Amino acid sequence: MRSRVSRMLIGLLVLGLAVTLVPPVDAQKRGGTLTIVRPTDPVSLDPNLETTAPGAWVYFNMLEGLLTLDEKMQVKPALATSYEVMSPTKVRFKLRPGVKFHDGTPFNAAAVKFTFDRALKGSPPARWASLAGSLEGAEVVDDLTVDIVTREPYGPILRTLAMYCMGMVSPTAVQKMGADFSRAPVGTGPFKFVEWKTNTHVIIERNPDYWGDKALVDRVIFKVVPEEGARMIALQTGDADMVLFPSPAQLPALRKDPKFTVHETTGIRVVFAGLHAGQPPLDDVRVRQALLHAVDRKAILDNIMEGSAGPARGVLAPGVFGYKDMQLERLYPFDRARAKALLGQAGWMPGPDGVMTKGGQRLSLSWLAARGRYPKDGEITEAIQAMFKEVGVEAKVQILEWAAVFQQVRGATLNHHMFTLGWVTSNADADYSLYALFHSKQVPPTGWNTSRYANPKVDALVEQARRSLNQTEREKLYGEVQDIIAKEMVWIPVYTTKEIIAARAAVKGFNIHPVEYNLTLSKTWLEK
Amino acid sequence: MIRRLLLAVPVLLGVVFVVMLTIDYLPGDAVTLMLGEHATKDAVAKLREHLGLDKPFLVRYLDYVGRVARGDLGRSIQQNRPVAAELADAWPATLELTVAALVIATVAGIAAGVASAVWPNSLFDGLARLGSLFGLSMPIFWTGLVLIVVFSLWLNWLPVGGAGSLIHLVLPAVTLALPSVAMIARMTRSAVLDVLREDYVRTARAKGVGEFLVLARHALRNAFIPILTLLGLQSGQLMGGAVLTETVFAWPGLGRLMVKAIFARDYILLQGAVLVFALAFVIINLIVDLSYGLLDPRIGRQG
Repeated sequence: MRSRVSRMLIGLLVLGLAVTLVPPVDAQKRGGTLTIVRPTDPVSLDPNLETTAPGAWVYFNMLEGLLTLDEKMQVKPALATSYEVMSPTKVRFKLRPGVKFHDGTPFNAAAVKFTFDRALKGSPPARWASLAGSLEGAEVVDDLTVDIVTREPYGPILRTLAMYCMGMVSPTAVQKMGADFSRAPVGTGPFKFVEWKTNTHVIIERNPDYWGDKALVDRVIFKVVPEEGARMIALQTGDADMVLFPSPAQLPALRKDPKFTVHETTGIRVVFAGLHAGQPPLDDVRVRQALLHAVDRKAILDNIMEGSAGPARGVLAPGVFGYKDMQLERLYPFDRARAKALLGQAGWMPGPDGVMTKGGQRLSLSWLAARGRYPKDGEITEAIQAMFKEVGVEAKVQILEWAAVFQQVRGATLNHHMFTLGWVTSNADADYSLYALFHSKQVPPTGWNTSRYANPKVDALVEQARRSLNQTEREKLYGEVQDIIAKEMVWIPVYTTKEIIAARAAVKGFNIHPVEYNLTLSKTWLEK
Repeated sequence: MIRRLLLAVPVLLGVVFVVMLTIDYLPGDAVTLMLGEHATKDAVAKLREHLGLDKPFLVRYLDYVGRVARGDLGRSIQQNRPVAAELADAWPATLELTVAALVIATVAGIAAGVASAVWPNSLFDGLARLGSLFGLSMPIFWTGLVLIVVFSLWLNWLPVGGAGSLIHLVLPAVTLALPSVAMIARMTRSAVLDVLREDYVRTARAKGVGEFLVLARHALRNAFIPILTLLGLQSGQLMGGAVLTETVFAWPGLGRLMVKAIFARDYILLQGAVLVFALAFVIINLIVDLSYGLLDPRIGRQG
C-alpha cells in the first residue's frame, strides 16, 4: 500500500541539514543589547492566542516550527530534517535529534503531537486554526518520527507548517504554567523569554544551548512606543537600534544618512479597491474593466506611496508560491478614452452633470474604506474617487474606523459597490488567497469572496490545485486561475506592500523578510 | 461619609450600563477583530459562544454586574488574562503620572496666579496670562511632541518615552500639567484679586500685618475654596488627558490600556478600566467635599 501510494506521489524529498554560510566580509561581534521599538504591545506570546505581528515578532525568535520559510520564500528545515509523503493525507517527518526546549524538556514526536492537539483540539481552538486549512493533527510514529495528517488532500501543507505561528511548545511548561504560558512561552528557538512588562517592554535573551547557530546579541528588548514621531526620535537619539513601522515621510532622509540603514523588501500583501461583482452595475465586466482603465496606478505609487510600496502586478504578491504576473499594465493601461468607450458599450452615456447615466440611473458607486489600516488606504481611496470622476463615475466614499469596515465586509450582505482592503497570503501559498477570495462558495461569512465573484472554471481549478500534492502541477493550475481572473477583474489592485525597517547602521547581519511576522534576529549583531 | 460612599454604587452601575450599551451599539466586533481577516465562520461562532457574546444585552449586563459584585472582573478577551491583573499592572503608572501632574499644576498654577494678583497688569501678569492662554489652547499631543523634540532630540536631557525612573516622569507630567497650570493660575488670580478687595484684608493690613501673612493667612485661605473645586474637576481632566499623554510618551498606564481595549472592542477590559476611572473620580470628589469643611468650618458636614 505504502509503496504504491508513494509511487503515485512525489516520492521522497530530503531537505538536508541546514548549513549556514557566514560571509566573512565583516567580523561578527558577539554581545550587546539590541533595542527595538514598535507601535504596540503583543496580545500574547502564545501563537494559540496571537497571530498578529506585535506578538509574532517576539515569539518567532523563541518558538520554532518543523519547517520555516527563508527570506527567499523557500521552505527550509527547522525542527524537522526530512519528510516523506506517505499518502495524499499524510506526510511523515523525521525530527532533529538532541534538541531541548528552554526548560530542558526534550523535543520529540510527543511534543509535536502535544502542540498540534493543544492548538487544533483545544476549546476554543488556536487563533491560527483557520489559517491551517485541513490540517488535522499529528500522530507519533516513534520518538523522532511524526506523521502530519490532513482531513483531505491538502497541497499547501508544507508552506502551512512553515508559517510563523507553527512553533512547537514545551509540553511540560504548558502543563505547569497553564494560562501563564501565554506571557512567558517556552520553545526551542535561539532566544528565550526573560520578562514582559505590559505596555512597556518584552525582553528575550540568547539561548546558549541552541542546537543551531547561536544568537550573536545577548539580549533583545522590544519597547512599545505608540507615537510614530516619538519612535523616529528614539532612533535618532540612540534610545533604539531598530524601528518597526518607521514613518514613511522620514525614510528619504534616513536613506541618505550614513548613520542609518533602511532595510526594505517587497512584502506579500496586496492592497486593492474591491468591486462587488454580484450586483449591478459592477456585474457587467465592461464596467469593471472601464474602472481599471480609469485609474492611474503609477501616479498613486509615485505621489501617494512615495517609494514605500511596490506596484501590484496581480491579485497575488510576487513572493507567493503560484504567483503569476497578470500583466495588468498591458491589459489595463491608464486610458480614459478606453474607459469611456467601454462604459459606452455597456450602455452608459454622459448625463447632464457629467456623470454617466443609463435608463435614468446615474453611475454612482458607494464605497467603504478605513483610514490607517493599511498604508495610505484613505488617501488612495480618495485619489481613485477623483480619477473616477474624470470618466463620469461618481464614487460616494464612506471612511469609517477599521473595526466598523471589517464587520461590514465580513457580513453576509454587503451594501456597498466597492471597498478598500488589503490581503496578505499568510502561508505564502496561492491556495490561501485564490481559494478563499475567488471560489464562488467562499462568499462571507464563510470565506473572503467579498467581490461575489463566481466562475465555475475557477472553482474547479482551485479545488483541483488544493487537492494536488504535485507542486509543479499546482503552480500551473494557479497560473490558469490568474489568467482567467485577469480578464474578469473584480479588484483594482493598487499596490504591493513593502516591508520596511529602519535601523542604526551599527546593526549588522539583519535580513528583512517579505513576511512581516518573520523577524529573524539570531544572525543580527551590533558593531559598537 | 458612609452614605456618600454608598451613593457611589448607583453611579458606578449607571456608568457600566452606559459603557456596555455604547459598546453594544458600536460597529465592530471583538471576535471577528481578534480572529482576524482569515477566520472561518465556525471559529467566529465558537468563540462568540465561548465568550457569552451570543446572549442578549440585559443578560450580559446583569451577569457582569453580578460577577463584579463578587469581585470578579472577568478575563480580557484579547489576552485571556484576568482583567484585575491587567488593571493592577496599569493603574499605578497612571496614578503616578496624574499625581505628579496635579502637584506641578497646583504649585505652579497657584504661584503664578498669586503673583499675577499681587502685581496686576505688570509685565509678569501679562506674560502669565499669555502663557496660560497658550497652555489652554495647545492640544496635549502637540505640546508633548514639541517637548520631546526640544528636550530629548536637541538637548538630549530627557528620555523620549517609557517609564521607570523619575527622569522618565518629567516630560509626561509637565505636558499633562500644562493646561491645568493655566486654568489654576487664572482661577487663583481672580479669586485672590477678589479677596484682596475684602474688608477683612483691609482690616488686617490696617492692623499692621505683614503683606506675606496677609496673603498666606487671609487672602489665600479664603481664595482656596474655588481653587479646590477646580482642582477636583482638574483631576478628572488629568485622567482624561492621561490617555493622550500616555500614548505620546509610551507611558504604560490605564489610558493606553483603555485605547487598546477600544480598538480591539475588548469590552470586558474596557468596562474594567472605565470602572477604575469612575471610582477614582468618585473618590476625588469625596475628598474635595470633605476638605471644604477643613478649610472653612462654616461649611458643615451635612453630606
